[in-house]
Amino acid sequence: MKYIYYSLKRNSLILLSALAIGGLYSCSEDFLDVEREGVGVGEEFFTTQDHAIEAVTSIYGNLREWNNIAFAHLAITTITSDNAEKGSVPGDAGFLDNFDNLTITATEGQLNGYWNGQYQGINLANQVLSNVPLIGMDETLKARLLAEAKFFRAYHYFNLVRTFGGVPLRLSVPLPGEQEPIDQLSLARASKEEVYNQIIQDLTDAAAVLPVSYDAANKARVTKGAALGMLAKVQMYQENWAEVLSLTSQVMGMGYALTPNYYDIFRISGENNSESIFEIQAQTVPGNCAASNSQWAEVQGVRGQFGWGFVEPTEDLVNAYEEGDERLDATILFRGEVTPEGEKIIETAPNPRYNQKAYVPGFVTNECGYAKDQNIRILRYAEVLLMHAEAANKLGQTEEALSALNMVRERAGLEPIESATQEELREIIWHERRVELALENGDRFYDLVRQGRAAEVLKALGKNFMEGKNELFPIPQQQIDISGGTLEQNPGY
Amino acid sequence: MKKYILLLWICLLSVGLVHAQENITVQGTVTDAESGQPLIGAGVAVKGSTAGTQTDATGNFTISAPSNGTLVVDYLGYERTETPINGQTTLDIKLGTSAQQLEQVVVVGYGVQEARDVTGSIVSVEGEELVKQASQNPVSSLQGKVAGVTITNSGAPGASPQIRIRGAGSALGDTDPLYVVDGTFVDNLSFLNPADIASIEILKDASSAAIYGVRAANGVVLVTTKRGEAGKSTVNYNGFVGVQRVTNQLEMTNTQQYATMINEKTGSQTVDTSLPSTNWYDQVLRTAMIHNHQVSASGGSEKITYSASVGYLNQEGIIEGNEYERITARLQTDFQVSDAIKVGYNGIFYNYNSIDVPGDIFYQAFVAPPVIPVFKEGQRYGDSFDYNLGNFANPQASLDWYDQKSSGQQMTGNVFGELKFLENFTFRTSLGLNYSINEYRNYRSEDSLTSVQFASRSQLTKSRSKGSSWLWENTLNYDKTFGDHEVSALLGISSQEDKSELVAGSANDVAFESEANLYLSLGDPETYNIINSGDRFTFASYFGRVNYTYLDRYLLTATLRYDASSKFPREDRWEYFPSIGLGWRVTEESFMQDQTIFDNLKIRASWGKLGNDQIPTGIFILPVNSDPRLGYNYGGGFLPGRNLTETVPPTLLWEVVKETDLGAEMGFLNNRLSVVADWYNKVTEDAIFGFTPLGYFGLSGDILGNYASFRNRGFELAVNWADDVSTDISYNVGFNFSRNVNEVTAIETGNNVYYNGNLPVGGYQVSITRIGDPIGSFFGYEVEGIFQNEQEIESSPQPTANPGDFRFRDRNGDGVIDNNDRTIIGNPNPGFVYGINTGFRFKSFDLQLDIQGVADVDIYNGNRNVRYGNENYDLEYFENRWFGEGTSNTYPSANLNGRNLDPNDFYIESGDYIRIRNLQLGYNLPTDLVTKWKMQAFRVYINAQNPVTWFDYNGFSPEVGGAPVSQGIDRNVYPLSATYNFGVNVTF
Repeated sequence: MKYIYYSLKRNSLILLSALAIGGLYSCSEDFLDVEREGVGVGEEFFTTQDHAIEAVTSIYGNLREWNNIAFAHLAITTITSDNAEKGSVPGDAGFLDNFDNLTITATEGQLNGYWNGQYQGINLANQVLSNVPLIGMDETLKARLLAEAKFFRAYHYFNLVRTFGGVPLRLSVPLPGEQEPIDQLSLARASKEEVYNQIIQDLTDAAAVLPVSYDAANKARVTKGAALGMLAKVQMYQENWAEVLSLTSQVMGMGYALTPNYYDIFRISGENNSESIFEIQAQTVPGNCAASNSQWAEVQGVRGQFGWGFVEPTEDLVNAYEEGDERLDATILFRGEVTPEGEKIIETAPNPRYNQKAYVPGFVTNECGYAKDQNIRILRYAEVLLMHAEAANKLGQTEEALSALNMVRERAGLEPIESATQEELREIIWHERRVELALENGDRFYDLVRQGRAAEVLKALGKNFMEGKNELFPIPQQQIDISGGTLEQNPGY
Repeated sequence: MKKYILLLWICLLSVGLVHAQENITVQGTVTDAESGQPLIGAGVAVKGSTAGTQTDATGNFTISAPSNGTLVVDYLGYERTETPINGQTTLDIKLGTSAQQLEQVVVVGYGVQEARDVTGSIVSVEGEELVKQASQNPVSSLQGKVAGVTITNSGAPGASPQIRIRGAGSALGDTDPLYVVDGTFVDNLSFLNPADIASIEILKDASSAAIYGVRAANGVVLVTTKRGEAGKSTVNYNGFVGVQRVTNQLEMTNTQQYATMINEKTGSQTVDTSLPSTNWYDQVLRTAMIHNHQVSASGGSEKITYSASVGYLNQEGIIEGNEYERITARLQTDFQVSDAIKVGYNGIFYNYNSIDVPGDIFYQAFVAPPVIPVFKEGQRYGDSFDYNLGNFANPQASLDWYDQKSSGQQMTGNVFGELKFLENFTFRTSLGLNYSINEYRNYRSEDSLTSVQFASRSQLTKSRSKGSSWLWENTLNYDKTFGDHEVSALLGISSQEDKSELVAGSANDVAFESEANLYLSLGDPETYNIINSGDRFTFASYFGRVNYTYLDRYLLTATLRYDASSKFPREDRWEYFPSIGLGWRVTEESFMQDQTIFDNLKIRASWGKLGNDQIPTGIFILPVNSDPRLGYNYGGGFLPGRNLTETVPPTLLWEVVKETDLGAEMGFLNNRLSVVADWYNKVTEDAIFGFTPLGYFGLSGDILGNYASFRNRGFELAVNWADDVSTDISYNVGFNFSRNVNEVTAIETGNNVYYNGNLPVGGYQVSITRIGDPIGSFFGYEVEGIFQNEQEIESSPQPTANPGDFRFRDRNGDGVIDNNDRTIIGNPNPGFVYGINTGFRFKSFDLQLDIQGVADVDIYNGNRNVRYGNENYDLEYFENRWFGEGTSNTYPSANLNGRNLDPNDFYIESGDYIRIRNLQLGYNLPTDLVTKWKMQAFRVYINAQNPVTWFDYNGFSPEVGGAPVSQGIDRNVYPLSATYNFGVNVTF
């Protein structure tokens, strides 16, 4: 024992060295350079062609997000209008009553959701537009991907400018902090005109590059037609009628055609058909409910049978259809009716009417929830025809206007309009636009504002529309708070 | 236990071995100086050497020692004595009782120290204290025991409570302290059986915690498990059986009341008031059983000591079907290989099985309208659809449908080797290992229970997460006394790696014939879905400490740590964390010898800097977002989408805590009265803080960075009175109290304000963190009253309001109620936390009564505020609601909608409570009887834990908790229940 003790004493220097070696191991910087587990490294993203493709895909995927197509979207664009009421049962999601009644305040959460949802789409597009040009890849593909991103940046800004007026115009990606100190991050609202100019620029650029069509595996991508059609719509909001006429004429020459039976457009079998110009793809991905996340149809499905029962079509909308208009039955699902698929809508449903454009028969899978497979129609040929008609009429080209208008009417089983004064025809086209596009992609409220008759129409229905205020929605208070007041509120809120 | 540690440390710290001397064998006895009773298990050591033993059952010892050496004898509760051998081979040593307070030994980082030498703020809680409670989580048992420590308990079986030491010093969720179990770092203590714990030390101030710099910013909880003692073999059985019942059950409206409210709200006969009524809380709650058993054995010889235990706990939850079963096992052995070398290990095994219930079941039971029956005709579940009230899950259907079992194992162990050399040096190497697996399987059958609870395909989910970590520490100790100078120095290095990984998968259409069928591979391959994620981080540290005592009265402790963590970028990852502590034992001074007031007076002051790296890993590394929702199908199949949706902070530095502590420890009246008072000022600088970027950046989530500073300042007082009135009667009364004031002193993001505390409805944010106010303060409107009629509304700044709505205060008087009128309306940070702990002994009976409470704290009643529509109301609301002019000016109408849901002070309620935490009556069977049965002790007891809690809050439980920036918002917590049990404790 003593021997060990003394030898240990002699060897104590060795021990201390062992301690030091341990120390060296500890302080090894390599030991402390730990990667982030289980996630891709952002610095290495945007280096390959695959990355470019995936990044563009994310822009499309984001379109299905809750904020972009469900409550916030439906509340802002549709429940506010004369086409629909809140729906569901009294009290359920009572905050949507504020949209129905136009008593929205800036703290209303849907506004912030919509704002963030649109800007998230814009960021995804900005990421592509800032980073993809630096990737060494197929140049043709690169140009097309950039054009797709521009389309969607315009699409989201268009949603924002119609809803809020001028908004902060962010065209670059958020840079890691050192380039962009956080106390300088407050961007003021751009003017409405600046936003529209950017939208027009982006859509013009996109239209110049995007192909007219794709192969089957890519058929749902945005096309030249989509870009021109969307640009026409943007120009219509700007009242640049000659532009609208020319753009719609171009689209009319691209081979789109009206679906013979209006009802078929909104069935799963009618998705991406020859009338479709752009629609958001939604589907059940088996076993992947996270990716099967479109709730546009679910929130509108017949309550107690399919979905939640929001967005109840108004009686005013029912009455808007002319006698014999096939679109009434295709657009509105009445309590107790039997659908063409042979399904009876339950008598006990709490609402008298539901949106039939969001109807998906019960035999379609609901393993991730109701109607995850219902695409959302954003732009179809009939709307291009109606824009064409509206522009032609504005420019005094009555025949041209009637011709486009009657294509839409005749498909709906109605008699063509033979003649009308410019003033009459304008009203007819506006009316046609309402019944053709009702409950579809949320244009009605914006149309009323654009047409300058929102106060007249909505007040007649008892809504609290205040002129000079309700044309725009309030900037979300949360955003004003975060901006420290740099973002200014819209008048009246 | 304490004896053992002390012994060990005498071995380690003693100096002056004269190894040239010849050893002789000394025999002797150790007895109580007053009674002459032999003292069993007293530590006997040779001063300055590693040799030591313990007295046997008759108080005798035998030890080999140098003939001119000194024997040091220690026994808990007695004065330490040093007896020179002077060549004698027989020594009878008498120990005098001591003032316990002074002789206590406390565990400090990487060692132990006598309490009187401590310069920091450390509170020690004996394992016995923990075992006296039915609570089966050691941290939970600390509630009300320690000044400055706030514990928020949850009633869920197996859940870990939230603990905060000296306030919320960090903004980001995790304010948990560092837990060190026998030298191994762990995340929580739920794997530990309280009966295996010898003591828990809470290092509250920076000076004592600084030696753990790397993770010590939230304080440190040191757990020492029991170790065997030489010559003292015992076998112990401890068990109890009891029942648990919920207390303070929230009263909700019945059908008649509910229907009245809904009809008032809708202005029509929406709901039939005469329908039968369901009390959903009664439906899902039950009286639950709990039983717990533990067998432990310990003992050993001079060379080998051991301690082993096996424990079993079976606890039902108060929710129907909830059950938790725990097995714990522990084995510890120390080998004294030679005088110089000692090795040992400690292994703790933990296994649990749990039958789970839906996490939101309390929420479901709160909101479910009473008109929905549990069952309707045809043995179908009652369905909210039948009543046109909105989508409400039937809570009973939820419970019946939910099928989840979880289980887990954890091995926590430590192996050490210790070598003494060159008289004053001790080298110790210690390897701590922690390995855990947690798994669950969830089966959702294909079923249609109600219109909102259905699945068209069955789904099996299996999840397994694995965590492993190792911690290797090497320390070198040097202890020496030079005349009046006592020096103890420590140098160490430490490195650690932590890894975890989750693998989870799900598949549809697995047929459930038996548990043996539940394999994902038996499902539809098209529906396979995999989740796989992980985390890894490493630390490296150098540290040192010097303890210096001069004349036994001037104390100095200085530490320095140099830490690195992989969570920070390379250029900013190394940081120094120094601390210093000073103490003055005034009663040792000659001028104090004549005074009779103080038996003990120590004044201490400390300052230290600590680091916090409890932040998510790799936040300085930009990740790629590959959320499946970013994928798309263009027509050729579903393709993944990926993109960048985050950004990284400009720089990332250590979050630093600087804390000053001033304390005084006093003993009066023969040390029967002891008082410990502390004042502290804890400043968190460069706090890692989330910052919500403006929406137009289009980012997902907050940006994290060093954006804030906080201050926690407070005062703690612990007063204890203990008196042995006679041999038959003794009692003690302890009172502890703490006051903490939290304030945000800086926020360096754009506008210096951070909103959080999201309510899921309407996107409201209740909590604000801004300069000058406490972290996570409640923010909203002040309610002046309720609008009684249209005239009031017309003349108000709320023209669109309805009668029965809140009338908000127009704070800036601009005639508009807008966001500029919002203000701080409440503070969720507890202002006062206190506990009263008492014990009485009369002959063989003992009684313990513990009371605990929190005051000066607010709760945000999110249950009332979060309304989508026709949720149920609490009874208090019904009884006080506005339903017509003049009916109420404090409660609104049933129509809680629109601006009534804007955060406001109606939803703020006092979270103060006072609780009888524990009440125990025990009886020790007479010694002669016990001896006849060949036992050492036999105690029976009855115990009531949490039998009564008093509070005003209109919720189930005032213990809400939450992350600092969003704390105190009640969204239906799993409440604590009262436990009544009967137990026995037998020692052989």
